[in-house]
Amino acid sequence: MDCREFCEQHVAFVDDTLAGIELVRMQRHIAECESCAKHDAKIRRALLLIRNLPSIELSADFSERLEARLKECHSEHLLATTQRNLRRGAIAATLASAVMLGYIGTTLYHRSDAPRDLVMPPVIASIPEPELTPITTSTPAIVASVSAGLTIWPAALFAEQVPVHFAHSKLELANYTR
Amino acid sequence: MADIVRKQIVSVEGQTVRERLQAMDDSAVVTAFLGGEERAFSELVTRYQTRLLNFVYRTIGDREKAEDLVQEVFIRVYRHLHRFDRSKKFSTWVYTIASNLAKNELRNRSRNPLVLFQTVQKNFQDEDRPLQFEDTTSRPDDMYRKRHLREIVEESVAKLPEHHRNVFILRELEGKSYEEIAEITDCNLGTVKSRLNRARNSFAEIIAPYVD
Repeated sequence: MDCREFCEQHVAFVDDTLAGIELVRMQRHIAECESCAKHDAKIRRALLLIRNLPSIELSADFSERLEARLKECHSEHLLATTQRNLRRGAIAATLASAVMLGYIGTTLYHRSDAPRDLVMPPVIASIPEPELTPITTSTPAIVASVSAGLTIWPAALFAEQVPVHFAHSKLELANYTR
Repeated sequence: MADIVRKQIVSVEGQTVRERLQAMDDSAVVTAFLGGEERAFSELVTRYQTRLLNFVYRTIGDREKAEDLVQEVFIRVYRHLHRFDRSKKFSTWVYTIASNLAKNELRNRSRNPLVLFQTVQKNFQDEDRPLQFEDTTSRPDDMYRKRHLREIVEESVAKLPEHHRNVFILRELEGKSYEEIAEITDCNLGTVKSRLNRARNSFAEIIAPYVD
């Protein structure tokens, strides 16, 4: 064992918590190493002093003061408990009242002459009429467009658009000439 | 006559309960208190008041404040005992509360230099007090030597860094195991051993010139 290892294990050595073989190694080291033996003696002597330090005593009024504080604490605790219980009681009373009122209401309802089965007014269901859009154009042309997948407008409609197109063409032509 | 007999019975019963409480271990006393036996708390106070006072006093170095803190420990125990995990040791729990309060006190002092000054001043006044807590049958020079030595030891302890001092006091003055110290100081076992080793070395170094 070297001095470093001795110092590392010195706490356990002083407290007598080392295993047998370790204890023997430490003792052997002390016997061989004067420096570590001195260190060990110095620590043990210092610990002897601290361990024999006289105990200090409580002052005469310590118990009285503590008792007064504990009483205060106890009454605070009681007050808090009472308030908590009162709160719980109030909640319980409210719930009980609600239940009681419900019960009374139900009982009164069952005792009255009112018919037990509810009679509801008859429900009349109606189907809304489908909206029909009037077809102003000629029906055969529409039918033709449906089967072809393309809109085929009747000639009457094109005829209605003609003057507009012509007027427009004229306007454009005039612009080009200018 | 009937009243006297009743009083006697009550006192005998009271004594029996107290004796029964004295014979119980901490855990059983705690259980008794939680079961509604108010006298059980007095038993806990009796068991721990002086030990806690010494522990707190050695940690903070102010006797009056130490008493106040010990009272605070008991108030906290009283308030929170129902939350105490009874699978653990009661003494460890109590010391943890005391240790935390002492630490807070030291922290507050370091933040408030006025408090520190007042404490120092009080200690100076203590120097002027007549000899006390000593065996009055001893010779005056012996008494002086003893008192002087006690002061040196206390001062040497006070010189240790806070986290070393805490571990040192718990081990050397309170006789706590490493595991208990680890729990009280919220450190791992290795840290406790290392701090204890350093504290012992420092203490021996500080006190060596006075005792050699």
